[in-house]
Amino acid sequence: MSQIPLQLENIRKTFQDGDKEVDIIKSLSFEAKKGELVAVVGPSGSGKSTFLSIAGALLSPDGGRVIVNGADIAQFSEKERADVRLRAIGFIFQSANLVPFLKVKDQLKMVKELATKWGREAKEEAQQLLQSVGLEHRMNHYPHQLSGGERQRVAIARAFMNDPDIILADEPTASLDGKRSKEIVELLANEAKDKNKAAIIVTHDEAVLPFCDRIYMMDNGRLILKEEMI
Amino acid sequence: MLTHSIKEICFFKLRYILIGFILFFVAALVFIINGLANGLAAENISSLKNMNAEAFYIAKDANNRIEQSRFSISDVEKISKDDRVEPLGLQMLSLKKSGSNQKVDVTIMAVHPKGFLMPEVTEGKSIATSKEPQLVVNNSIKDDGVKIGDELYEENSETTFTVVGFTEKETYSHTPVAFISLKSWEDMLGSQVKPYYNALVLKNDNQVVKSDVKGSLGSGVWVSTDDVIKGMPSHQAEQTSLNMMLIFLIIIAVFVLGAFFYIMTIQKMNQFGVLKAIGAKNGYLIGTTMLQVFFISVVSISVAVGFTKLMQMLLPSSMPFIFNGVLILTYAGILMVVSMLGALLSTVNIIKVDPLQAIGRVE
Repeated sequence: MSQIPLQLENIRKTFQDGDKEVDIIKSLSFEAKKGELVAVVGPSGSGKSTFLSIAGALLSPDGGRVIVNGADIAQFSEKERADVRLRAIGFIFQSANLVPFLKVKDQLKMVKELATKWGREAKEEAQQLLQSVGLEHRMNHYPHQLSGGERQRVAIARAFMNDPDIILADEPTASLDGKRSKEIVELLANEAKDKNKAAIIVTHDEAVLPFCDRIYMMDNGRLILKEEMI
Repeated sequence: MLTHSIKEICFFKLRYILIGFILFFVAALVFIINGLANGLAAENISSLKNMNAEAFYIAKDANNRIEQSRFSISDVEKISKDDRVEPLGLQMLSLKKSGSNQKVDVTIMAVHPKGFLMPEVTEGKSIATSKEPQLVVNNSIKDDGVKIGDELYEENSETTFTVVGFTEKETYSHTPVAFISLKSWEDMLGSQVKPYYNALVLKNDNQVVKSDVKGSLGSGVWVSTDDVIKGMPSHQAEQTSLNMMLIFLIIIAVFVLGAFFYIMTIQKMNQFGVLKAIGAKNGYLIGTTMLQVFFISVVSISVAVGFTKLMQMLLPSSMPFIFNGVLILTYAGILMVVSMLGALLSTVNIIKVDPLQAIGRVE
């Protein structure tokens, strides 16, 4: 398998704004490598969320190619994209967005069941994942019994559950305080490196940047490389 | 999908119990009204329904009602003795129990004791063909304390009837039917009026007999048993109003359940968006929702069936209530379909949910 699970080529996305067509993203190209945590920053309205939606197979671009694990998904139907999201991409959202009526272990079980089957192996995987995010003692708790940081940890574990090659995080620290934010991003960075995933994090939060390998700035519909840590 | 939907029900107990209760009460009400409609219908027309008859020959101006029709006995006797058609006398009376002042309302039906109109006697013996005033009466009269051997007195004709046997499922116009012989009928009518029969009853459809009767008794028409039943004014009114209640209840159920499920799906829009974003498909989400509705419906409707059965046992036997398994199951099926339909309406919202809404906001 190639070292580049996600590749965007010449992406264009326009939105209808009244009578005019506005280019939110124009000729954007981007690559995510395995074992690397990439941050995308930029002011609100700059097109960060649109970028994330296209990279995450939630939205189809108006032009260009989106290559996930070697296949161009730009023209996929909603159903096919749902499958790509399920198997190739792990999402982490602003607020953890866990299913309220499922216990922590069942959160992981559900995504596994959506993709394949839940068996002994899957159960061990889930246990290991929860251990690695430090929540093995919270397995039988409901989301409302957890703190914000703990919920976000469960979300991270959930994102890794189907062993996707790409991890996308949308402002994962937005609802956390400074100390927790750092912990969460550190965990995300470590997990991505450990498990050799390509992780992309869209954020406002300057505090998380030190953990990232590359930092892009979203400006006027393009991604500009701001900083590269070696 | 299955465990997912059950876990949701267990977690949001109150919500689902509420829906369950609504469905239970609607279902129980539907079943009870249905039982009542059956019971009333049986009390009113069971005698006609169980009668071994194809059609009635009734006076032209009698509005299909046996009570209003009359043929003089001498006219009827003109008809050649034919065992495919029999005369019927019918009159509603109050009989006084001898030795007390208690009165019981009955419908007297005068029939040929060995003819096809005489029902099977379930207890005691049948009436004699002779003049002796005997009667076989529907067993519901036992509730009034009437036993075999009791004497019932008819005031106008000063006739004392002896109860010789009981039959079952023979009621007319909400009163038990008492069968007497044609001879005691003539005696009872006595000298005050010109003796008459109310109708002639045809056992099997037969055009020859029909035209024969019409030839010798010109003043009547042949009316099918179904039309005679329809002609009973109280029957039609009872059944129509009860059935209207049933239909309205079912329509109300569609809307109440539909609204409830709609609100529940609206509440879960965000959750559906997230699930879709992480790769759940419409089929899975709709499947889970429909499964939940299915569980709730099965449980509530089954409990309602049980409750109705219990009601039947607790209600006094004088209450007209018949638990008709087939009908109850039919209505249970209809309610099941109705609640699934109500839920199906709200699945449109599930399809409409855009997984994009899980991402912060769309720019």
